[in-house]
Amino acid sequence: MRLIPRYILWAGVIVLALTFLLLNSGLDFTYVIPKRLGRLAAMVIGGVCIAWSSIMFQTITGNRILTPAIMGYEAVYLLLQSLLVMAMGAQSLVILGANGNFSLSVLLMLAYSWAIHRWLFRNGRQNVYFLLLMGLVLTMVISTFTQFAQFSVSPGEFSVLLSFSQPSFGRAKPEQLIISCILVATVWLSIRKNLPMLDVLSLGRDQAISLGVNYQRSVQRYLALIAVLVAVSTSLLGPTAFMGIFVANTTYALTRSFRHRITLPMGCAIAISIFIVAQLAVEHIFNYRTTVGILVNLVCGAWFLMLMVRTRAGA
Amino acid sequence: MISVNNLSKTYGTKPVLSNVTVAFPSSRLTSLIGPNGAGKTTLLMMLARLLEPSSGSILLDGRETSSIKLSNYAKRVATLRQSPDFNLRLTVEELVAFGRFPYSRGMLTADDQHAINEAISFLTLDSLRGAYLDEISGGQRQMAFLAMTIAQQTEYLLLDEPLNNLDIKHAVQIMRALRRLCDEQGRTVILVVHDINFAANYSDHIVAMKDGTVHCIGAVPEIVSEQKLQQLYDLAFKVIHDKQGYLCNYFTTSGEQE
Repeated sequence: MRLIPRYILWAGVIVLALTFLLLNSGLDFTYVIPKRLGRLAAMVIGGVCIAWSSIMFQTITGNRILTPAIMGYEAVYLLLQSLLVMAMGAQSLVILGANGNFSLSVLLMLAYSWAIHRWLFRNGRQNVYFLLLMGLVLTMVISTFTQFAQFSVSPGEFSVLLSFSQPSFGRAKPEQLIISCILVATVWLSIRKNLPMLDVLSLGRDQAISLGVNYQRSVQRYLALIAVLVAVSTSLLGPTAFMGIFVANTTYALTRSFRHRITLPMGCAIAISIFIVAQLAVEHIFNYRTTVGILVNLVCGAWFLMLMVRTRAGA
Repeated sequence: MISVNNLSKTYGTKPVLSNVTVAFPSSRLTSLIGPNGAGKTTLLMMLARLLEPSSGSILLDGRETSSIKLSNYAKRVATLRQSPDFNLRLTVEELVAFGRFPYSRGMLTADDQHAINEAISFLTLDSLRGAYLDEISGGQRQMAFLAMTIAQQTEYLLLDEPLNNLDIKHAVQIMRALRRLCDEQGRTVILVVHDINFAANYSDHIVAMKDGTVHCIGAVPEIVSEQKLQQLYDLAFKVIHDKQGYLCNYFTTSGEQE
């Protein structure tokens, strides 16, 4: 049973996207609209990454209050930014260039995920909870290093750092968008055929194995794909923290389905809508006096609470 | 036929199963019985390939199971663990459909739908098809999980305490269904069961385990004797055998050992 037909939701996304593009633009196709198109593309790619990575991560862990952030990817990103600013000062942005910073972030997060998967899954250890625990501890350790670096920079440099710890759509350059697009498309190609396998994984390890799924290998594969998605969204937009929880749980509540064929696209629509609404509000209502991150958490949190209260056992 | 040779499992230095050699006859219902911690479930989980043996081998029709691809193994051996727990909202039919995954990889064909319907009506769950798993009773849920395992259409079924927490009516229903799977469809059923009376009345073979080894093994009349059961459980038993079947009384018999 679906509460909202899919096409209505997607129509809503398109209306929102057009509103975002055209509202108060004066139909300026030389500057305003191309700029907005860039931000829109960042939102779409970021939304897709966040929705897919959160839903797949929750399926693998069998837990609906987790996001991949618990594995420490965003902590690694913030540590990198802090170290860059500490080492090179606010000039680091100029020296590396935005594209350099983006590529470095993506590569570092992928290297981090590769290393912890290699380390934790060696000699056939299979326990996902052990992985989560290590991720959580590493997140704390890395965050401490980040704080250490942040305390040793000047207030001016700190404000540069602060801007990296908030999601923003304006940073993304066209080259970054193209690279991100390619990475996301690759992920999509490799999960497209195996969506029912994700459904089986959500039955838990024992049931999945007895239905013929090579659990260990599949989990490692999906964790790797999740790492790619998180690396893209974090490098492109910055840390989105726990938005994934809102997106995933709203998706489950609206679709009432366990099938990833349905939840993954629905999740994208929801994440993209949230981003567009928040950005519209920041640009046109608050006039840049607040940030997307704050708005997203505020609105999503309130909506999510309402959903929990109204549907209770349903979600 | 599925058989194990010198199978051992140790956790750290603690052996939970040592040098077990058993052959499970085909098209028969075999019960694994014994006290807690005897290694019954460990043995069953290794047959299901949910646990790696520390040493020894498991052979399926003479072939080492670890050399069989997991996706092919699932077409021959189906496993049901005790009280599977997950936070999905599924209907009975959706759950049963999962049993077809080894064949269809999620794209149900007409054959799959046929197998699903068959499994559902085999356990007379037709009226519950569209019911959500979290809205039906524990016994009905257990039947639904069993239907999923049946829909997998494997020669072998491994069940870990399928009667756990069930009332006597559902327990009898499940055992009768398993009996019919053996007799009518020639499937091989291996289950861990704690209620000695269910094991005695519904099995063909019994494998009694104690302290990680096979205590005794054989057809039901050989094993269900006062002397053997007393040794196995360290409890005094009184076994009544009549036309209706076996009744093992261990509740009020005097002369308890130790």
